[in-house]
Amino acid sequence: MSALLAIERLRKRFGERELFDIPGFALDAAQAYVLTGVNGAGKSTLLRILGGLEHAEASALSFEGQALALDPYPVAMRAAVVYVHQHPIMFSTSVAHNIGYGLLARGVPRAQVAREVEAAMEWAGIARLRASDPASLSGGEKQRVALARAKVLQPKLLLLDEPTANLDGAAREQVIALIPTLIGAGGSIVMACHDRDLIGLPGVRRLKLRDGTIEYR
Amino acid sequence: MPLVDATRDAFGLLLSGDAELWQIVWVSLKTSVFGLLLATPVAVVLGYAIASHRFRGRRIAIWLAQAALSLPTVLIGLLLYLLLSRQGPAGGLHWLFTQSGMIAGQFVIAIPVLMAFTLAAVQAADPRYAETAVAHGASGWRVMTTLLYEVRFGVMAAVISGFGRVISEVGCALMVGGNIAGETRTITTAIALETSKGDFAQGIALGIVLVTIALLMNGALMLLQGDAHSARGRL
Repeated sequence: MSALLAIERLRKRFGERELFDIPGFALDAAQAYVLTGVNGAGKSTLLRILGGLEHAEASALSFEGQALALDPYPVAMRAAVVYVHQHPIMFSTSVAHNIGYGLLARGVPRAQVAREVEAAMEWAGIARLRASDPASLSGGEKQRVALARAKVLQPKLLLLDEPTANLDGAAREQVIALIPTLIGAGGSIVMACHDRDLIGLPGVRRLKLRDGTIEYR
Repeated sequence: MPLVDATRDAFGLLLSGDAELWQIVWVSLKTSVFGLLLATPVAVVLGYAIASHRFRGRRIAIWLAQAALSLPTVLIGLLLYLLLSRQGPAGGLHWLFTQSGMIAGQFVIAIPVLMAFTLAAVQAADPRYAETAVAHGASGWRVMTTLLYEVRFGVMAAVISGFGRVISEVGCALMVGGNIAGETRTITTAIALETSKGDFAQGIALGIVLVTIALLMNGALMLLQGDAHSARGRL
């Protein structure tokens, strides 16, 4: 299987404190991973670095076989990598506009955006929320809107930061039910999580961030 | 009681549609609104840029923007006077004692207020808005418009406060406008002049108009803030 992303010596410091110094790791194309580790190990930070929201030092980086520099964040990765927050925030427009946001940003024609948003709402089971005020959605509904907002972009690498944290019961089940189709969509996924049901999903490989380095499990 | 008599005469002037008085109100509104319309896009973009970018001298820029809030308008008037006077570097514009000069003054006065309020609103915004926009591939321009839309109540408050500052200032309008009847006389400069002449009725009438405008603008602000608070309560 070919590597989608390979990084050598990835270091992150906050002032004098070094969060991690990872000798190197690679993510395969069309592969799902869970990223585990104790709280404070740097799971979120690592995802944010991969998503271009946090600066870090890397001695080498290749994405889809192309050698790139991590800082400034490469344009090729910006178009292909989507990061979803643990607590996704909704723009105060409409649910449909939220889901179509990235497509509109990419200049996709409005008619096509409307079609794709409709399909994504059906997929996420949120079609009935079409006219809802995004601020009024529950945590689980926001997470599903956020997954739909990311899915429509068909990212080559989708980074999910604790997608089921702070969700329980039906809301958690509904989010977990969406993950296998995301895994089967052809891109790679990295999910930072503690959720055993996500860790146990078929075909998912495990990365563990421990003592500032990554272990493949 | 002279105050009671003057107030009664003031209402008489207002209700009789005194042309001179309403001309003064018109000049005030026109120069203030034009100055504000020109200043708003510049100041909002500057405020956003300072709030959302890291660059050398950023803290100094914030310090200067906030310090500029307390610049006396009469000092801005003096500087503009020197710039626009015949021998000044911008004398060729022939803007001294014209409405164009007054609009330039209102522009300069409004910029720091609008900038400081926008800066504060953008700094207070949840960082996930900008991050979500960036993570979904938004261009720098789209990130800005997205974020400004999310802090629109703060930006509206900036505009209303800016309007309050320009409509109520007297120093710059007096120095740059020259208080010419029918041309550059504004509500505030007219109040100063009429009071010095002992004609309190027109001064009070104009004061009533000014207070009414202030009440309306602040009422609008309260309505907007009420809406913002209820929106926050739902999060």
